[in-house]
Amino acid sequence: MRRRCCAPPRLALPEPPPRRAPPCAMAETAGRLADRRILALHLPRFAAEGFGEGPLLVWRAEGSRRVVLAADAAAEALGVRPGQMLADAQAIAPAVRAEAETPDAHAARLAALALWALRFTPLAATDPPDGLLLDITGCAHLAGGEQALLERAVAGLAALGHAAQGAVAGTPEAAAALARAGFGGIVPAGGEAAALAPLSPLLLRLPEATVSALSRVGLRSIGEVLAQPRAPLARRFGAGLLAVLDAATGRIATPIRPIRPPPELAAARDLAEPIITREAIDALVALLLPELCAALDRAGRGLRRLTLRAHRVDGAVQEIAIGAGAATRDAAHLSRLLAQRLERLEPGFGFDRLALLAERTEPLAPGQRAIGAAAEDLSPLLDRLAQRVVLWRARPRPGHWPERAVERVPPQAPVAAPPGWPARPRPVRLLRRPDPVEAMALLPDAPPRRLFWRGAWRSVDAAEGPERIEPEWWRDAPGRSPRDYYRIACAGGVRLWVCAVGRGAERRWFVHGVDA
Amino acid sequence: MPMTPSALDRPALLAALRARIARLERGAPGPAPAPVPLCEALESALPQGGLARGGLHDLTFPPEEAAGAATGFAAVLLGRAGGTVFWIAEEPDAWPPGLARFGLDPALLVLVRAKGADALWAMEEVLRSPAAAGALLALARPLDLTAERRLMLAAQTGGGIGLLLRPEAEEAPGVALTRWRVASLPGRGASRHDLGDPRWRLELLRCRGGRPGTWVLSWSASAGALRVEEDAGDEARRRRA
Repeated sequence: MRRRCCAPPRLALPEPPPRRAPPCAMAETAGRLADRRILALHLPRFAAEGFGEGPLLVWRAEGSRRVVLAADAAAEALGVRPGQMLADAQAIAPAVRAEAETPDAHAARLAALALWALRFTPLAATDPPDGLLLDITGCAHLAGGEQALLERAVAGLAALGHAAQGAVAGTPEAAAALARAGFGGIVPAGGEAAALAPLSPLLLRLPEATVSALSRVGLRSIGEVLAQPRAPLARRFGAGLLAVLDAATGRIATPIRPIRPPPELAAARDLAEPIITREAIDALVALLLPELCAALDRAGRGLRRLTLRAHRVDGAVQEIAIGAGAATRDAAHLSRLLAQRLERLEPGFGFDRLALLAERTEPLAPGQRAIGAAAEDLSPLLDRLAQRVVLWRARPRPGHWPERAVERVPPQAPVAAPPGWPARPRPVRLLRRPDPVEAMALLPDAPPRRLFWRGAWRSVDAAEGPERIEPEWWRDAPGRSPRDYYRIACAGGVRLWVCAVGRGAERRWFVHGVDA
Repeated sequence: MPMTPSALDRPALLAALRARIARLERGAPGPAPAPVPLCEALESALPQGGLARGGLHDLTFPPEEAAGAATGFAAVLLGRAGGTVFWIAEEPDAWPPGLARFGLDPALLVLVRAKGADALWAMEEVLRSPAAAGALLALARPLDLTAERRLMLAAQTGGGIGLLLRPEAEEAPGVALTRWRVASLPGRGASRHDLGDPRWRLELLRCRGGRPGTWVLSWSASAGALRVEEDAGDEARRRRA
């Protein structure tokens, strides 16, 4: 009824030639982007696949309704369909187990699957709720072509227990839409518009309101929408529609957001037979590291951060990262650093792929290693220590507040003390938290005469001070009180650095340091 | 090529062995690397005329003191080791502004936070490396013999000085080359408002091939020197024994 009340669709009016023009222009622009190839994988039953044995369905609460979100193959055979009411589905197939959706676990499983997909390409992204996008530009030949890669990916997902369908195209949106449609093939560069033409706009993940508005004016396929002049489309349905269409046809390039940043350099091995033992892993690492170091050498770069990514047979991915304080491409040194961490790998039923990824590199000239031999000598030791313990150097800061007299810097950083530093005698140990103590002083501003510290009263023989230290007003909260520091010598000879905070009756005493 | 975990360490092992051989070769005709200088009276009591490198040294302090004097003495030793030194402790509260007064330059100090097995591992790594001149491990209780022997071997390989800083416990045999006890003494300031130079009672409790003794030392920050005030001598030591 309402349809008739609508304004007459003025969109289908233009004549054929200009109608053809935009796709041609698109094909040309797509030519620029023809380098990019995206493999999209769609997992139609993904939501129902994390709950173990079926038949089962997963439902989601939409307002007061409970709607079936996904069902596994067994449940679908019994007549359960996504989009049904939960009550209907349970009436049709009472034997089917119903589970509420778990969005967090779902997202985590999808991310884990994207990590698994890193075996095909270094650029893999999730496409929530139930898809993966792999940028396979330049990777396909490794698997023997795009079709072979697509088949391998689908077969790999099937081996992990996921029903999947895929498609390869030049843009993520087109590939994803084709995968959702079950296209299962390769779209040559620039052919996205033609391949999408028969599909429903719903597959492009357009808002439902837009899709129904499009169908009200008689545009039921993507091809029909693409054939319309752009300006009226934008006027009527908003710029969002055009943005989606342009992205799908390659007129504008949309990036994918990879689950891990692509490494600068990598060395990897796929294994026909999974490896489990530490010896085998060590041997493989010993094979890959020189390969990576040789590549680094050719590139004139040194490694700052290295990741070992181990793909397990069951699809789990484990990562070990090591960092080097100074750029290095010394395979022996890196292998020692890695060896400390390898024990954290859990092989389970074995790894079928190991990859070493140079995540962060810095220029490292070949001759640089010989210069400053002494400083260079120390950096392997610092690197090894940094894998397991926390270490730092203390760099003097211009500041009087004791806690900020030095700052922690990485152990490789140069540290120099200004001449005559520190200006006043300071204790050799500074307690991390000042110890509150009970103290007796004869006069309000006098040093303490007796002090109760660590379970004993100590009488004070001599004291130097007070040295008033004001808080750093430009950093501290206003109203922080200054401290009066005294160096005191107790009866036995123990020297302490004590401070008093507050005035009069509110004067409190702390031991802040121990002196020699 | 099958590789065992220990074989992965082969480059390090080789480097360490080479360093050791070089040192042995150097040591065969001439003297061992010069020990860490202390002061005349102390040096005469030590077989090598100073604190021997390539070995462990125990520094103990009375538990009721908060390790202040021992820390100062350790800073003197590390500062004279002549290279980068590591301070390994569960909570490294050693404070460079204070240590600088005892001759330990903050540029040469690396602080390491580690506890338990990690601390022992870090100490061993540092000692085994010829790049480090010395290391200090702060402990709450004495090490067991195996761990101490391991550290000793590492120190022999690397050639640095290893200091174990711990509160005094029951006298037990140890592997360390020397065992010291450092306690504070009241200063000799001019008045109640002057603390004077730090003064310590230093006891050499055990020393392989040396003569145990007791000294009263003071540290002059301006001169950067240890001064023996009096040789409390062997009598006191003998009396106690």
